[in-house]
Amino acid sequence: MRSLIGAIALAGMMLTASDARAFDETKYPDWSGQWRRPPGVGNQWDTSSPPRKAQAPLTAEYRAIYEANLADQAAGGQGTDPTYICIPDGMPRAMNVIFPMEIIIQPHVTHMLIEYLSMVRRIFTDGRDWPENTEPSFMGYSIGKWIDTGGRGRFDVLEVETRNLKGPRSFDASGLPLHVDNQTIVKERIYLDNADPNILRDEVTTIDNALTRPWTVIKNYHRVRKPVWVEAICAEGNQHVRIGKENYMLSADGYLMPAKKGQAPPDLRYFEQARK
Amino acid sequence: MRQQSSLGSIALAACLLTASAAAQPFDESKYPDWSGQWRRTGGIQWDPTKRLGRAQEAPLTPEYQAVFEASLADQAAGGQGNDPTYKCIPAGMPRIMTMVFPMEIVITPKTTYILSDYSTPRRVYTDGRDWPREFEPTFLGYSIGKWIDDDRDGRYDALEIETRGMKGPRSFEASGIPLHKDNQTVVKERFISDGANRDLLLNEITTIDNALTRPWTVTKKYRRDHNPIWHQNDCSEDNHHVSIGNENYFLSADGHLMPAKKDQPPPDLRYFKQSRK
Repeated sequence: MRSLIGAIALAGMMLTASDARAFDETKYPDWSGQWRRPPGVGNQWDTSSPPRKAQAPLTAEYRAIYEANLADQAAGGQGTDPTYICIPDGMPRAMNVIFPMEIIIQPHVTHMLIEYLSMVRRIFTDGRDWPENTEPSFMGYSIGKWIDTGGRGRFDVLEVETRNLKGPRSFDASGLPLHVDNQTIVKERIYLDNADPNILRDEVTTIDNALTRPWTVIKNYHRVRKPVWVEAICAEGNQHVRIGKENYMLSADGYLMPAKKGQAPPDLRYFEQARK
Repeated sequence: MRQQSSLGSIALAACLLTASAAAQPFDESKYPDWSGQWRRTGGIQWDPTKRLGRAQEAPLTPEYQAVFEASLADQAAGGQGNDPTYKCIPAGMPRIMTMVFPMEIVITPKTTYILSDYSTPRRVYTDGRDWPREFEPTFLGYSIGKWIDDDRDGRYDALEIETRGMKGPRSFEASGIPLHKDNQTVVKERFISDGANRDLLLNEITTIDNALTRPWTVTKKYRRDHNPIWHQNDCSEDNHHVSIGNENYFLSADGHLMPAKKDQPPPDLRYFKQSRK
């Protein structure tokens, strides 16, 4: 009996020693690899609808803004899609995962890395509360909670809430707007598909004053186990040129050109002054 | 009987250990604690012991010294010279390691991630892989690392990294100290905690590049903040540089295009004239 107790104690000591600062990955789901939008799925917010056909529950005011945006885009403008100047998508649009995503799970924080400048999400899972007086950002401040829905001693769902966002942001390239007050709250529930562990689902609910009700969509991502990561640098080949409130284009031969029919050229008053 | 109980208990202990090993927890205690936020201790020059620009005494070949002098002259006239980052493209390697913005290091058994604002994530593969046969060059390049247990105490102290496969344009710093346009740069790094201060991280960086007459080694130091606040810095959000063709202009505070250099001609608006016909 003594030797049994001794052996258990020995095993216990060895486990304790090896567990010093050990991160037991087996408690967490395996979300390693590269996550991409499913083949054939565009970058629209609600992937259950064709691009520009989403039944967004916009308020009357923001429906009018959206319609004006569509008209501007049809005329060659960018409407309310702010990303043409290479600012990040921000939340919730970042979860369109226009470029591939990697998820790194650690006990205190889960990182979501999207291959685009400044599109790192830190989801704090250390039990912290919302901080006071933090600067708003495009990706916002995210607090998460791991859930063991099956009671099997292994987490299978990550619930995330994101606040403290700044604008301009839109849901997708069609310019579906979020409210200019930036009071957006995004709630997510992320989990692997029951039947296929190479499919990750993200139930994203957006609460925003541009909407008449919370809007929930489900994003699906497909896993690549042996990924190749390629940099996506928006500013590297961006042909959009913003001068004041106008957007122009760069021609293939490097000249400024109008983005819209009949668009006036930029005001060159400072060149005239410089020549005096 | 006593022997039987001993054997049984040993078997039980072995089972417990096997179960633990099979569970493969990531034993963080084998790795240095580089958590938190790391901020540069010096300015934004490449060699932090010297001032920005000519004072860096970069070991440039005569050809690239001339390129650098032309860059300095252009910058003195209001241009951007060889510094490509005014267009909000990333600094790339090795310049990103100046850490204009704070850095986070996330260590996992197979990959160490070096994260900083206005850069895509830097992945340092420590899984023993070899260089891939083909890969698309990137500003950050492809990094393979190796953990080193210098004092053989069962705990890694240093991370040695080699980075290849970069693309340009890149420069060492804002003064425009150039790297060779052939982009054959190789960067070797050795990260190690300061022996006396665990909140000081050292990175000895050696750059091998055809613009240089010899490998150029500098040591960067980063200071830790244990309770960081992460700000997001987006270069494109308020960039007042406007590139049109090969010319760089400026945006005035009231939103008009203005020259960046004295007597700079305005942009050619030929396509506006055509559209008005």
